[in-house]
Parts: sequence; structure tokens; C-alpha cells
Amino acid sequence: MKKKKPIKKKPFLPPMSLSYEGTQASKTGTWRYLTPTYLNKLAPCNEACPAGEDVEAAMVLAGQEDYLGAWEKITQENPLPRVCGRVCFHPCEGACNRQEFDQATSINALERFVGDHAFQSGKRFTPPQEKKKEKVAIIGSGPAGLSCAYHLASMGYGVTLFEALPELGGVLRYGIPAYRLPKKVLEEEIDNILSLGVEVKTGARVGQDVKWGELKKFDAVFVAAGAWKSVPLKVPGEEAQGVMSGLDFLQKANSGQTVDLGQRVAVIGGGNTAMDAARSALRLGAKPLIIYRRTKEEMPAWEEEVAETGEENLEFIFLSSPVKIITENGKVKGVECIKNLLGPVGKDGRREPRPIEGSNFTLPVDAVISAIGETPDFSFLPEELRKSAGALPVDETGATALQRVFAGGDIVAQPRTVSYAIGSGKKAAIAIDATLRGKNVAEALRSAHWGEKGSLSIALYKKGGADGVAPEVVKFSDLNPDYFKRQERKPKETLPVFQRPTGFSEVNLGLSPATALYEAKRCFNCGVCNLCHNCFMFCPDLAITARPDKQGYQINYDYCKGCCICVEECPRGAISVEVKK
Amino acid sequence: MKKLMTGNSAVSYGVVLSRAQVISAYPITPQTTIVEELSEMVADGRLPAKFIRVESEHSAMACAAAAAATGARVFTATSSHGLAYMHEMLHWTSGTRLPVVMVNANRAIGAPWSIWCEQGDSLSQRDTGWLQLYCQSAQEAMDTVIQAYRIAEEVLLPVMVLVDGFFLSHTSEPVDIPDREAVDRFLPPYRPRYKLTPDDPHTFNIMADTSLFISFRHEAQKAMEGAKKVVARVDREFKSHFGRGYGLLEKFRCADAEVVLLTMGTAASTAREVIDHYRRMGKKVGLCRLRLFRPFPGEELIKFLKGMKKVAVLDRDNSLGAGGIVAQELKAALFCAPRKPKVFEFIAGLGGKDITPETIQKMMEITLNNANPTGAPMWLGVEE
Repeated sequence: MKKKKPIKKKPFLPPMSLSYEGTQASKTGTWRYLTPTYLNKLAPCNEACPAGEDVEAAMVLAGQEDYLGAWEKITQENPLPRVCGRVCFHPCEGACNRQEFDQATSINALERFVGDHAFQSGKRFTPPQEKKKEKVAIIGSGPAGLSCAYHLASMGYGVTLFEALPELGGVLRYGIPAYRLPKKVLEEEIDNILSLGVEVKTGARVGQDVKWGELKKFDAVFVAAGAWKSVPLKVPGEEAQGVMSGLDFLQKANSGQTVDLGQRVAVIGGGNTAMDAARSALRLGAKPLIIYRRTKEEMPAWEEEVAETGEENLEFIFLSSPVKIITENGKVKGVECIKNLLGPVGKDGRREPRPIEGSNFTLPVDAVISAIGETPDFSFLPEELRKSAGALPVDETGATALQRVFAGGDIVAQPRTVSYAIGSGKKAAIAIDATLRGKNVAEALRSAHWGEKGSLSIALYKKGGADGVAPEVVKFSDLNPDYFKRQERKPKETLPVFQRPTGFSEVNLGLSPATALYEAKRCFNCGVCNLCHNCFMFCPDLAITARPDKQGYQINYDYCKGCCICVEECPRGAISVEVKK
Repeated sequence: MKKLMTGNSAVSYGVVLSRAQVISAYPITPQTTIVEELSEMVADGRLPAKFIRVESEHSAMACAAAAAATGARVFTATSSHGLAYMHEMLHWTSGTRLPVVMVNANRAIGAPWSIWCEQGDSLSQRDTGWLQLYCQSAQEAMDTVIQAYRIAEEVLLPVMVLVDGFFLSHTSEPVDIPDREAVDRFLPPYRPRYKLTPDDPHTFNIMADTSLFISFRHEAQKAMEGAKKVVARVDREFKSHFGRGYGLLEKFRCADAEVVLLTMGTAASTAREVIDHYRRMGKKVGLCRLRLFRPFPGEELIKFLKGMKKVAVLDRDNSLGAGGIVAQELKAALFCAPRKPKVFEFIAGLGGKDITPETIQKMMEITLNNANPTGAPMWLGVEE
């Protein structure tokens, strides 16, 4: 019998040398010492926004041309993006990391663009599904009152707004001239807030038309009556015909009342009210002359407004104070001033003006507008709250000495700006909700904080804190600027100077859609993953993949060796490193 | 569609028709216009491919190899010093059995500095495991690029397509551009058996131990040997699709020839005139253009030269200390042949020196008038 030859099977050889075992068998993650993790950080703009907007999230969405999404993000925190996009002094831009690279991103103008775009697209607030039984009274319908009303009404509370003047808006309507904030825009934003079911009582001055005691039927009160009392000049002749306070003048001008200014009008003061008064006077046909006791550098008005005032060729007389209003038959004839020198730095950090004896000079004027400061009027408040001078005292939760009475806006001690007022209105809404729901108010407010500057987020309050976001603020040094191109900030378009004195047309014309997108894309998106893919591209272990929800990335720690190249190459510092295995 | 185009442009169109997916290249004269045109075509969308700009030819080939390892159809092009710079990666590419197609515009390697034609740059890379196909016309360059993908993807070895710098790369001639659909029918998409993929990650080119390394080399050698048949078959199929074929050896007036001139590249077209000149004088001379240099078609040459009396080899290259490379390869192949012709070796046209009809005529005179070669290669065109 033939013996069968044993079949010797040749081992299989692939064309190239290739591991039999898939490389997934080798868990290179066991080598890891440093562990990268995705952790969004706080952007400096968010921390800096007194209204507590999630600027960063809105900018990410705007950069994707999702302006309605950006509007949702903004209005979650601030119901007045079209107002703020016009009048906010934008501390967000002051904190912008891009300043250290080229120039700050045009956040303020983008907010306006987003607000206007959303309004034109028909976006409106949605009333709450469920109503709560508690009712809240809000005194004052300026930015603080409107903000508080918006947040409380959104939470389902019954809100009643008491406004002493015939129309809503407070300083937004009666203080800020139409060339900075058109009345129509303001009305549209207010209407949107009212559509949430806010009850309105206009011409209802608390203390006169409505007795304080009548407010007892409310479960909480928010006092946001502003600061409407002008500081007197304390010079002879102040009572003459033709002398008026800046706020009175602006209130009349903004209500469309005629004001007899004559030819030349002296505007006393260097703040925003003085600038607004002078520029309004110009538009009413007068020739304003701004008299300020210090120099241009010390002017408390915002740089932008001073610049625009300068553009309109308004005359300034610096280092001069009025000492006497010269009158004739009880009417203003002129103003006598004295020259000042700047002395040492005073309490407020600015150099004190010192009059130079014998330097008096007289200016012939037909009217004098005094805008040297405003204080709140406490006369309508109950006895217990009337004790203080200057500002209504509140604790860190915004609560006054009276139970369930909170205060905010210009009536309390805080910077007198629209955005701070909006922020304090939100703070009151949180404090009132926490109080009425029996929560610890201080803790509730802490959970709502963006960073360290007092900026509060209603979204954080509702979530109970910033889950998954590192509390630290991203600095420029945390970014990888290799990934950013130098791109000049595009200026806003403005009304030509020659067209301005003829009326109250808006001076700032905002951004074109192309510029808005350009500016949105200029945003570094500090500390926030915007799905740029860099980490995915750089990971040498293919350990980084898109999350199933496509809203971010995930790291497979079985294979992440901890080289942290992803951290290094993340343009915006959205990945952190922990030292652990 | 017929179009007047340079050799380099014909190459670019060949790449587009082959639907290359990744192009990774660094510019160098006289190759530059190939990648220039391809980058334009990628930029304007005519070629839906990734164009990787690299900082060197070493990286160009590294990227090409990596892209090919992921299963992409890849193209690169270079010349002379660039090819020399790629040397290490040429080995890695063939060792990984990646079907990369590269066009090299033949140019002399310095020193002295030269940008002109010579085939020594590619011939000095003959041991790197790349197939080498030398072209004579712009039409052939385009057709060979298309063929090269079929060949490379079947034998799993990279293919180098050679065009003479300037003589072919930069001169224009009418070229018949095949229809895209026809090329698609001829050249199906590349479907690799092994590829780098995150879905099933494997390490490529792991260390082969001493028992296995030789086996991998042996496999590659077998693939090279088998490649001759594949080149011939692909060329035949190409002819049936497009009516044009070139073979491994292109023969001219060889049926009854006793003396044959063997050369590569564009010199062959000049040689045709000279052959006709001798034919008119009644001399039984012919021309053989070697199109496939690697793998070297030794058996095919033995068969072809059987019965020939003399073969004159015109090398546009020189291996210092050894002589013309084509002649050396031919002599080595003929060593075992039962009947061998006498081999007359000539070196000409180095560094772009013109190979004129007179140059070739001089070669033929020497070959026809001498019974035996002198033993050393004759250099033509050296300053006396």
C-alpha cells in the first residue's frame, strides 16, 4: 500500500508585514500618566457681562450663522438684546481675549444684529406653560424692572409693573435719546416682554397714585425706580427761567415736547447725561457748549459717546465750573465760570478740580442744562427704607430691610448702566423665586454665578450650577493663537455727521449681514469646543472620536496614551489635563 | 478628443482619468508643470482629490505611501534630485506592497548642476522594488499612467513611469484623450485587501524576524517576476479598449534584421530615421525600444535577439565604473543564452546633450564596420 504523504500546509503570508492581531488588542491607554478631558471653560466676556449673557454660546451659534439660536441664548438671560446692542457700554469687549491678538470682537454690534434679525424673522418670547399663584409687584419699568418682570413672568409668576410716567421704559425711553435708541425698537422689545402676560399700570406713581400699603397683597416687591433727582448746581441764579436739569430736558425731548433753548445753551457736566443732553440740544437746533470742570481724560461719559459728540463738532470748555447764572428779568442771560487746575487725586480716584482765583469769565447763553449727577428719590418709600441717602441699602441678595422687598437698578449702589440694571433685575427675579419657593437665596444666587464679577445666569440657576464647565476664566495665554488669523475689527457703519443735526435718526447703523458673520467668525470661542476637529486630526492614537450626539468629542481612554497633543493643539483651551492614571 | 499637449500635461490628464484620490508632490524641474496642472485641477474641482503640499520629496513619498495604505489611489511625480531624496521611501513603499504610481521626468543628477535629460536618476533606483516603464511620446505617457494603476493594483508593487525631461515633458504633440467612461471601464476602482483603517486597526510593517524577512523579499521578487505577464496583458487589454498598445519591447524593422539598436525613451524616435536610412542602403538593421526596464524582460530579449548578429545599446546613463546600465542588464541576461549577439555599448546624451541622427549614425557605423566590440563602452559627444 502506498503511504500517504503528509500534507505540509504552508503558513499564510500577507503581502506586507502586518500584525495578525488588531492593534486594538494593545491598550496603550495603560501608559497614560496625564489625562486630557474635555472641559469647557468660562469665557471672559461671559464673566464681564453685567446682564449675565452667555455671550460665548451665542457667538458660537452666530459663527455658524444660526442667529436665531444665538438670540435664544441671549434672551434666555436678557430680554433686551436690541436695546443692549445699541446702548450697552460692552464690558464684554473690554474683557475680550482677542484684544491681545488684534482687536476685540464686535460683540455689542453683533448682539444688535442678532436681536434685529430675530425680530425681523418674527421671533417672540413664548409664554410659560404653567402659571404660579404668587404675584409680584415691580416698581419702575426701566431696564431693571423689565428684566425682573421678564424672568418672573417666564417662570409663571403674576407680575404687575407700576410706572409713574405715562409710558414704559424708564431711562430707556425718557433718558436715552432716540438717535441712540429708536423708540420703536424699545417699544417692540417691551411689547415682547408684555406678551408673557405682564400686567401694566402706567401713570401710577407709587406713594401718590398707588399707596405703598396697596402693595401688601403682592407676595414680593421689586423696587427699581431709578435715580431721577438731579443734583443741583448750587450756584446763584439756578432758579431762573431757562435753567433745567439734564434729565428734565431729556425727558421732555424724548416725549416730543417742545423745549425753548434759545440759541446758545450751556450744558454743565461730563457724564453720559451731559453728552445726551448736548447732542439732543444740537438736534433741536441749539448751539450747545459743554462745560466740564476737569479735562477730557476724567470725563465719566463712555468713550464712544465722547467720540461721537466730538464727531458732531460740539464745543467743550474744560477745566471750568459755573459759579453764577447771569439773569435778566428772571431769564438766563449767561453763565459765569471759573477756571480750574487739577489738584491731587481725590476719593473717587480722579484728580480734584481746584478753582483759580480771579480767573472768572462769562459766557453769554440762552439756557443752561445742568447734568452733574442724579440721585434716587426715596420719598415714595415707607419709613423704614427712607433713612439712607445716596442709594437704597440692600444685602448681597438684593433684599432691602423690609421682608420680601428687593431693590435693584440705579436706586441701589451699583454702576448706573443699562446692563447692570438688567443684571440686578435678574438677580431680584432669582432671589424672589428662591424666596417664594423656600430655597436658600444666597445659595441659589451662588449657583447662578458666571465667574467672580457678579454676573448671574438664569440658565445656571435653573440647572443648579455650572455643570461641566470649569469655573476658571480662559486667558489669552490659554489659547493657541497659531490657529487664528489676524483680522481687523470692522467698524460699525454710522450716519454721516452732516445728516445728524437735522433730526433724531439713529447714529449707529449696525453691521451688515456680511460684517456680522465676519465678526462672529472672528470670535475665538474662548474655552468652548466649537467642533473645529483639531483634536481629532492630531490624536496619534485615533483615541478621539465625535460624540454620538455630534455636539463634541470623546476620548477612548483605553488607547489615549496621555500625550496631550490635543490639549496643546486645541485653539481655544477647551481641553484640560488631570494628573492621574 | 485630440488635443495638442506637452508630455507633462498628458501625464496630468492621465492622472485625472485614472481618478487618483490623493496627490502628494513637491515641485522640481522638469516635473513641475505636472503637479502644477494637477493642483489647479484639484482646486477647481475637475479632479476630486486631496492635494497634499509637502516640504520635501521624502515627505511626498511618505504621504503617498500612507495614503495608499488607507486604500486610496495615489499619484506623485518628481525628478532627479527629488527622486534621489525619496530613495529610502521608495523602498518602504515597495516593501509595503503599495500600488503608488509615480511619474519621474528624467533629469541628470548633479554635480555639476544640470536640469537636462538623462535617465541615470531613475536607473540608479532600479533596486528599490519599483516597476519602471519608459515612454517615448506624450500619448504613451498618458496611456502608461492609466495602465500603471491597473498593473500596480494587481501586482501590489509601485510603478514608476518615466518621461525624458524636456524632450518629452515640455514638447507638445497631438494626444488622443480617451473618454472618461471608457477609462472607467478599463480601470475599476482600487479595492485593497489590506488597508489601514480605524475600523480594524493593524500595524503595518512590523519587524519581521530573521525567519520571515527573506520570505517577504521572496514574495516581492515573485511579484516582480509575475509583473511582466501582467504588464503585457494590461497593455493588450488597453489596446483592445483604445486601439493603442506598446508591449514590453517595441520593435521597428526587426523582422529580418541582423543588427539591432536597443535604447529607451525619446532617442528611439530619432533612431527610426537612421534605421530607415540604413534600410534604404540595404542594411538589415532594426530598432528595439525597451519600454519595460523593471522587471527586466531578459527572457523576452533573449528570444528576440536569437539569430541576431549584433546589438548596439544606446545608454542615456552611466554607472560610474561599470558603464551603461541597460547594456549591463542586457549582458547579464544574455549570459545564459545559447546564442548571443555581440553587444556594442554606447554612452550618449548625458546631461541633456542632443542625441542627433548623426550620433546614432556614428554608433551604427561603428557597429556595422567592426566585427567585435572593443570591450569598453564608447562615449559619444565627449569634447576632444
